Amino acid sequence: MTQPLLRAAGIARRYGDVEALAPTDFALEPGETVALVGPNGAGKSTLLAMLAGALEPTQGIVEASVPVGWVPQRPALYSRLSARENLELFARLEGVSDARGAATRLLERFSLPPEERPSGELSVGNRQRLNVALSLLAEPRVLLLDEPTASLDPGQRRRVWEIVNALRDDGGAVCFATQNLEEVEHAERVLVLEHGRIVPATMEEVFE
Amino acid sequence: MNAVSLLVRKDLRVLRRSPLLLAALLAYPVVIALLVGLVAGYASSKPRVAWVDEDNVPPVVQVAGHRFHVQTIVDQVSRNVTLVRMSADEAARELASGEVVATITVPPGFVGTLETAARSPSLVLRTGSGALASRVTQQVQALVYRLNSELQGVFIKANLVFVQLLRHGGQGSFLGRRFTVLGLDGTQKVLASMPPGERVRAIAAFVRDAQLGLAQTGAALKATAHPIELKQPKQQGRTWVLSAQVQSYGIALTVTFLALLLAAGAAAAERDEGTIGRLRRGLVSLGQLVWSKVALAAVVGVALGAAIAIVFGVVVELGGVSGGEPWARIPLLLVGVALAAAVVGAAGALLGALARESRTASLLAVLVVLPVVFLGLIPREALAFAFWVSELLPFSHAVRWFSAALYDPSPWRVLGEQTLWLVGIGAVLWGLARRSMRRLEA
Repeated sequence: MTQPLLRAAGIARRYGDVEALAPTDFALEPGETVALVGPNGAGKSTLLAMLAGALEPTQGIVEASVPVGWVPQRPALYSRLSARENLELFARLEGVSDARGAATRLLERFSLPPEERPSGELSVGNRQRLNVALSLLAEPRVLLLDEPTASLDPGQRRRVWEIVNALRDDGGAVCFATQNLEEVEHAERVLVLEHGRIVPATMEEVFE
Repeated sequence: MNAVSLLVRKDLRVLRRSPLLLAALLAYPVVIALLVGLVAGYASSKPRVAWVDEDNVPPVVQVAGHRFHVQTIVDQVSRNVTLVRMSADEAARELASGEVVATITVPPGFVGTLETAARSPSLVLRTGSGALASRVTQQVQALVYRLNSELQGVFIKANLVFVQLLRHGGQGSFLGRRFTVLGLDGTQKVLASMPPGERVRAIAAFVRDAQLGLAQTGAALKATAHPIELKQPKQQGRTWVLSAQVQSYGIALTVTFLALLLAAGAAAAERDEGTIGRLRRGLVSLGQLVWSKVALAAVVGVALGAAIAIVFGVVVELGGVSGGEPWARIPLLLVGVALAAAVVGAAGALLGALARESRTASLLAVLVVLPVVFLGLIPREALAFAFWVSELLPFSHAVRWFSAALYDPSPWRVLGEQTLWLVGIGAVLWGLARRSMRRLEA
């Protein structure tokens, strides 16, 4: 039996009296792609943020044996900094030795504008691509994506799935949240979330 | 390069790219400082006082041979208050309505009583119940003190004429009656022409003692009239706008305002931008996040404090004003500015975390900074409670730090005490800010 790359045991999150996610166990095996589906407010983003370490669980633990990349639903970047400055800043914070080189490579890979234009002035699609690029700075083996293709055109979506598939084929693991049922075909395993719990329902039942 | 310095550099870059925000952050405290100055100026403006002359005082009053020009005396009073001549009824009405803060009444017979030099005439002072009443009372008391002082001089001079008559003899007059006095000198001559004897010797001895005693009368009378004299040698000092206190308040107000707003906005912006989650993924701890906002406030505070201190220094140099070291103490001042700005920065980070949104954080910071600053301006004597509350806030300690650093010849004790206060307050605020930062995650 292979060791999971990412494992969560009994993680839960409460906001005051509201239970955003009930205690949940979760594991990502090497070469696996998992889709999280469910209606708005089901707890998908909360689960992904906790798996990524961006949000502290109210209870439970998360363990990762490899670097983890996280693409939040809303682009998480400094809008007054350019795409390059954002990439270089987060590369330095991640401890990447050649921050400038890493930024240049990702700018080219995602066809992002190299000029010093504030990223707040970029198109929605470009901002989302920068959001994805930022998650790849530390060369993660696990990628957690929260509706990554929501504002991308078909060509850009294809590029994102190429990255996802390449990572999976290379022995990494991917978990993504989506409301687009067509995107579920990229996953080997589908988890349905409703009211903060993983439920044994089909996707069609949940969305109905 | 560690995470704190990376975040500070990022925040400085963001600030540089927001020229409008930067200009507002710099201009706003300057405007507030000017408004505070205007209010302070208004507080020191001359209060309006009614002058009710029921005795029809002539332009010149003669007392014991000395001429007093009434207008000169009125002008002296007018340095501190605006005297407005009016009738008794008008004065009473305006005092009741608060249009004048006091009335000074010269009652009928005032000048006549004064001219006799035998009794003390009275001026009648009535004050309202406003805040300026005690100030006007003090000013009128000072005026009466000055008048009494001048009259004492005149009366002493007149009395000494009689003493001189007693010593040397001659013609004199009192209340219009003329008379001749033999005097001690004349008595001595008469005694010398008399046949010697025990009685003559005894009288001659008394005359000698009396002459010695009366010779000291002038100095004794002056000493009785003015047991203590206040002398005010002319001195070239700083004008009030360049005073140590104004300079310290100006720097403290600007730095407090800027540091609080900046740190609050920068902390809340991490949530607005959604970057808090990315940072919290093991890249930056909550403590480092607070430190980054504290350091941002300190860096910008030092830059601004240095600019203000240089402007003050240049003005002092150009004005040729003595009484301070505009340049030598700037490095010491900037140490204090860095400390104070850092402490206020911790408060800003706390507000930013509580507000969770940069616009709310900025509004909250403005709402908080004004009472903090104004509490620090209230003297202990005026409102002890406000003073003690301000002791728990960084502003008044920053003012004392800056004032001592700039102008105290031996500032170390004050600096040590105020540093302890600031570090203590800063530690509490830092702890609260770190604890509250979790709110930004959600």
